Amino acid sequence: MTDQTTAVTLLDVEIFDPPLCCPTGLCGPVLDTTLVDLADAVSTLSGEGHSVVRHMMTSDPQAFMRNKTVYDLIKARQLEVLPITVVRGQVVKTSAYPTLDELHAALAAGA
Amino acid sequence: MTKFLFFSGKGGVGKTTMACTTAVAEADAGGRVLIVTTDPASNLADVFEQPIGHAVTAIDGVPGLWAMEIDPDKATAEYTDRTLAPIREIFPEQIVAVMEEQLAGPCTAEVAAFDRFADFLDPTAPALVPTSGNAFDLVIFDTAPTGHTVRLLELPEAWSKSISEAEAGAGQTCIGPAAAIAEAKVKYERALAALRDQDRTRFAFVLHPEATAIAETRRAGAELARLGIVTTELIVNGILPPEEGSTPFFASRIAMQERYLAEIRQQLPVPTRRVPLLDGEVRGIARLRAMAPLLADANAARPVFGLPADGAARRSHDTAAAIAALRPAGGPRTVFFAGKGGVGKTAISCAAAVWSSRQGYRTLLVTTDPAAHIGQVLGEVIETDPTPVPSVDGLWAARVDAKAAASAYTDRIIEDAVAKGRSPQSIAAMREELDSPCTEEMAAFDQFIELASRHTFDVTIFDTAPTGHTMRLLELPIDWSRQLDVKVFASVEGDAADDVAKARFAGVIDMMRDPARSTFAFVMYPEATPIIEASRAIDELASLGIPLGLVVANMVLPEDACRTPFALARRQMQQTYLGNIEARFAAPVLEVPLLDGEVIGLGRLTDLLAPAMGPVAVPA
Repeated sequence: MTDQTTAVTLLDVEIFDPPLCCPTGLCGPVLDTTLVDLADAVSTLSGEGHSVVRHMMTSDPQAFMRNKTVYDLIKARQLEVLPITVVRGQVVKTSAYPTLDELHAALAAGA
Repeated sequence: MTKFLFFSGKGGVGKTTMACTTAVAEADAGGRVLIVTTDPASNLADVFEQPIGHAVTAIDGVPGLWAMEIDPDKATAEYTDRTLAPIREIFPEQIVAVMEEQLAGPCTAEVAAFDRFADFLDPTAPALVPTSGNAFDLVIFDTAPTGHTVRLLELPEAWSKSISEAEAGAGQTCIGPAAAIAEAKVKYERALAALRDQDRTRFAFVLHPEATAIAETRRAGAELARLGIVTTELIVNGILPPEEGSTPFFASRIAMQERYLAEIRQQLPVPTRRVPLLDGEVRGIARLRAMAPLLADANAARPVFGLPADGAARRSHDTAAAIAALRPAGGPRTVFFAGKGGVGKTAISCAAAVWSSRQGYRTLLVTTDPAAHIGQVLGEVIETDPTPVPSVDGLWAARVDAKAAASAYTDRIIEDAVAKGRSPQSIAAMREELDSPCTEEMAAFDQFIELASRHTFDVTIFDTAPTGHTMRLLELPIDWSRQLDVKVFASVEGDAADDVAKARFAGVIDMMRDPARSTFAFVMYPEATPIIEASRAIDELASLGIPLGLVVANMVLPEDACRTPFALARRQMQQTYLGNIEARFAAPVLEVPLLDGEVIGLGRLTDLLAPAMGPVAVPA
């Protein structure tokens, strides 16, 4: 199993977000419930002891380059491939955000 | 240590003149002075009669004086470029394009403008020094009109909060990357500290001796005081010379001014200077220098500029066309009264609303002005829901209150989240996110759309905020609709709700662009600056596909009242500009007279439009 991350410990869950005005989906005339659901899921997983990080382009663009698989996907399919969900270095979902159930399943599968 | 001097006040009171006169006087006295405007609709270049622009520019003829305009569009562009530079290196074009769109929202513009503003208040920041060496002794700010000024100055508090709380979260804030803003946080805190430091900062309010100005100054002063910013002085401008009292019309106005001067002494106990009205405009270095002694001593000799050169011949006015622009044409009509603050939009929109309801049309009068002057002019309390105006049959009135709207919007969202059983952390994060200034802007916009979309009134009249602010509010439908297109990428379930919102916005934009359904009426008085202001604003609306429907030339001196050299000089100045107005704008012009007293109450409101509109038909 190869992974291109240089970190010593692998993060459990990484979400690579598409360009967003704000991570909570609250900045706009219509509320985006998917993003609020995601925030809830992230909160739950952290509470369960998992390491979870959301990568934002505007604050941490380098992160998108560090994982070679993620970067190749973006170069090839561009906007529509985002968001990308990575569990322990492996890409498990693209194009839409994962639900809490999907994240639990992916974490269990890797364990 | 560099000192700061702020001139604030409703637009059109003469704060630019005061700021420029002071700047010239201080520079002539040997100081190194920088005058900065943060007004989105700046007229500094007009007063100095030279181009100024977005960089520190030397003023010809005044050694020691420099000026600068903070242009919000340029500031936003620079801010956007800075933010996007690292992104351009990494991401494909399509993604960068999306981010550019997102950064093109109204929130970014506010941040970017404030960011530049804060540069001047941070003594450690570079790029403030003119090429010839040392820092400035004095930086003078010709700030935006009071409502907007308060908003701009409230930002440091709000933004500072946004940043600290976001640092604890995902590293992203509603207004952009926390990383980029974190370094700015120190700058913003310094800016706030400088604003509060009375040893370094003086805050002068400029106003005219009239009722709405006093209430507004008190309100604005109180808002600033809450932020720890103290009003150090007042300048009461536009005071009629006592000898003009030989004419009854002016005697009456002088008496009115005296009453308000007494009220100012009572209600605004702050060191106050009085500045007389001159017989012509203060433009150009020579006149600014002639003005300077009056700022130091109200009894100094008044410069006399004399009769201005003759202007273009005037054509007659098409009153029928003007009236048609205010009437429904086979369907509901929405009228927007736009124009720089202080030109009389409140009085005119009230007068038009009263006239409209007396013609038999169900009329709604809405104020989106954060300072809400309509209530004062009508003598009624204006609620946020359309409520009948007791004294006028067929007239309703409403106020768009940004703060209340944001509060209601936040409550709605949080209630929904609690009902859905979201985690306490999520709810806390949502509350924090919703506490941003963007929420206010958006909630006000939401109410505006709601009122503009109603079809229960024959005529809806909006008393809009001063030109700069107007542009933001009126540009929002277009900006937000672009933002929605972009947001669609991020969610699936969001689509349906987004479509409904999109349809609503599109409906209002269509309405604004259709001259049969909506009229943009620009109010201006016949002086150079208001005309240029209006011209810029009109061009901007035209670029959004919104045509000019009507021009209202306000505060025109009546011919029979002008007998002295002073009055004749001022009248001729106005007549020249009236000719200018007719030549420049391709829309009917409605002329409204200056009255011999305040425009408060129904009698006066009727007096305003009767000369132009003719006798009012009372509905059966």
